[in-house]
Amino acid sequence: MFQKIALAIAFSPRMEALMCEIKRLSEIFNTEIIFIHIGIESEKEQVKLDGLLLASGFNQSNSRVIWEQGDPTKKIIEICKRENVDLLVTGALKKESFLRMHFSSVARKIMRKAEVSLLILLEPSMQPKSFKKIVINGTDHPRTAEIIEKGLQLAKIEKAQNVHIINEIQMMGLRMSVAGEDTADTVESTRRSLVNDEVVKIEDILKNIDKGNLKINIKIVSGKPGYEMARFAEKVEADLLVLRAPDHKLNLLDRFFPHDLEYILNDLPSNLLIIQPQSS
Amino acid sequence: MEKLNTLSHGDVVTLFVQLSIMLIFARLLAEAARKFKQPAVVGEIFAGIILGPTVFGLLAPEAFQSIFAMESNSFLVLDGIVQMAVVLLLFIAGLEVELHIVWAQGKNALSISFYSLIIPLVIGFLSTYFFPEFWGIGDPDSKLIFALFIGTALSITALPVIARVLMDLKIFKSKMGLLIIASAMIIDILGWIIFSIILSMMGRTVEGVSLWATIALTLGFTILMLTVGKSIINKALPWVNKKMAWPGGLLSLSMAVCFMAAAFTEYIGIHAIFGAFIVGVALGDSEFMTEKAKEILHQFINNIFAPLFFVSIGLKVNFIEGFNPILVLSVLAIGFLTKIIGSGIGAKVAGFGNRDALAIGYAMNTRGAMEIILGLIALENGLITNAMFIALVVLALATSMAAGPLMKSALRVKQKT
Repeated sequence: MFQKIALAIAFSPRMEALMCEIKRLSEIFNTEIIFIHIGIESEKEQVKLDGLLLASGFNQSNSRVIWEQGDPTKKIIEICKRENVDLLVTGALKKESFLRMHFSSVARKIMRKAEVSLLILLEPSMQPKSFKKIVINGTDHPRTAEIIEKGLQLAKIEKAQNVHIINEIQMMGLRMSVAGEDTADTVESTRRSLVNDEVVKIEDILKNIDKGNLKINIKIVSGKPGYEMARFAEKVEADLLVLRAPDHKLNLLDRFFPHDLEYILNDLPSNLLIIQPQSS
Repeated sequence: MEKLNTLSHGDVVTLFVQLSIMLIFARLLAEAARKFKQPAVVGEIFAGIILGPTVFGLLAPEAFQSIFAMESNSFLVLDGIVQMAVVLLLFIAGLEVELHIVWAQGKNALSISFYSLIIPLVIGFLSTYFFPEFWGIGDPDSKLIFALFIGTALSITALPVIARVLMDLKIFKSKMGLLIIASAMIIDILGWIIFSIILSMMGRTVEGVSLWATIALTLGFTILMLTVGKSIINKALPWVNKKMAWPGGLLSLSMAVCFMAAAFTEYIGIHAIFGAFIVGVALGDSEFMTEKAKEILHQFINNIFAPLFFVSIGLKVNFIEGFNPILVLSVLAIGFLTKIIGSGIGAKVAGFGNRDALAIGYAMNTRGAMEIILGLIALENGLITNAMFIALVVLALATSMAAGPLMKSALRVKQKT
């Protein structure tokens, strides 16, 4: 599923836990791990990092460390591109202050700009566990089938207990037209048919995917795309939300007029796996 | 002790009879319109024409005068209720604007809305500026404002009517459907900003506030509401939803904010409806404004206040006396052609084929309620004559009724080819 995984590291209290998490991933996917650190490469820090890597079970044969200087976000994205990384792992806080959320958080910037698939871990642990409750974004989009397939592939590897495929639909058409001008029966049947159409779309996608023994629940919600999905993931206490990367890099306007991923970044509901089109 | 000014017993009775008759007729005619697969607004306008001087006043002038006499106190109160209805209609029009859909559609929506707005605006402006008498100018000294108004009136698009048509054709969620919706939303916002500026040019500005200051205030208010205002709404709504009775708390506070914004924009020299519209946009775009809450507001306003407003139009205007067939035909011709061609060009620029571009043009051609509100405000301000107002109402009705069949034919032809 992923051939080359990178971890963006900083000397923070969560670094050791992140290393344990990525060790688990390296074993699952049997891949080389690249550790990216943006900052001055001092001898003291080098020794500290080597010690941590060794303690986490990494050595020169299964990992590499890249030290570079510059703007952390730009550099991390640049290195991932150069090294053909197909999954970048990073830690992030569930919520950030207004200024950090919009302007200075490196994790948020990476989520908005990255051209590589991302795994965002909210609470990395020294005893990492597999993802047991996974929510997959099944909202209608040209890439929906691909996202569901990748999400289920991971769910099978992780032997997930519950998989929810969530499809967010817009009821504004119904609200603006039918709801105001038709009988209660017509409104209800139109509403039902809108929901059923979406369930059928997901079922059609699932027909062509190997689901193994996974228990899959299809859920249709209406409301703001992204926001409703995040709230659903919180409600079912998901430990991973799988979604597609935005169609374009998110900019300042997207932050002031939030949609889709921006709603999720505002208050991360769980760990996130954001899948880019090129990853396989 | 001085006696308070209150309605007499007779005025109170008349007012309630007026409201009751208006709502009953509006409902009956809206149901009839529904049978013919037409929007409720079509029936409601016809209800007003039947109840007003055009039919009821002509057939039974004394009975008409005893119920709907314009000079009575009850009619004054009714007019106040209608004013409130207009503000509320603009409020829900704002609620329907979902900015995330606009961003999601991006450049293509911008292209369609740009051409769909600019071509009717420019052609409408030029033709009325050079032939103002033909187009029924109200005040000959206001040629520039009149021409700008006609241009704006021709460029507006009715979002709810399009939504209905797209739902009926089952293409609301298609790429084309969402693009049409997003384009109509952009036009809604730009159209009301332009119209607010025109209103301020009509001398509605508070004394001492220049035109440029009003333009700055209009844009400033819009930007402030959509950034700071929305941020405050996002902080307040979760608290309201959690701590207050639902939906009571949300409904009453939404209305309160709507009226406060209407009062504020009226105070600073922009029309009250603009404040209501922009607050609607800010509130509707909040992730904490649930679909259910929007639906309740929608039902409440669309089924009580909207009918009162649309019926009231027929009460105020005699559609036979003021009917000018040449003007009506001219407005229909320029209205249909400029909008269909403009939107079609936009769709072509956005990469659609001829048939799809034509279907998009037909959809964007719908005017509906917003056109009528715009026309009524211009009529009340003496900018246009009764004849022009009637022509605009006919344009609104004709485009609303034609959108479905025209779109269907364009898409059917496309499927065949």
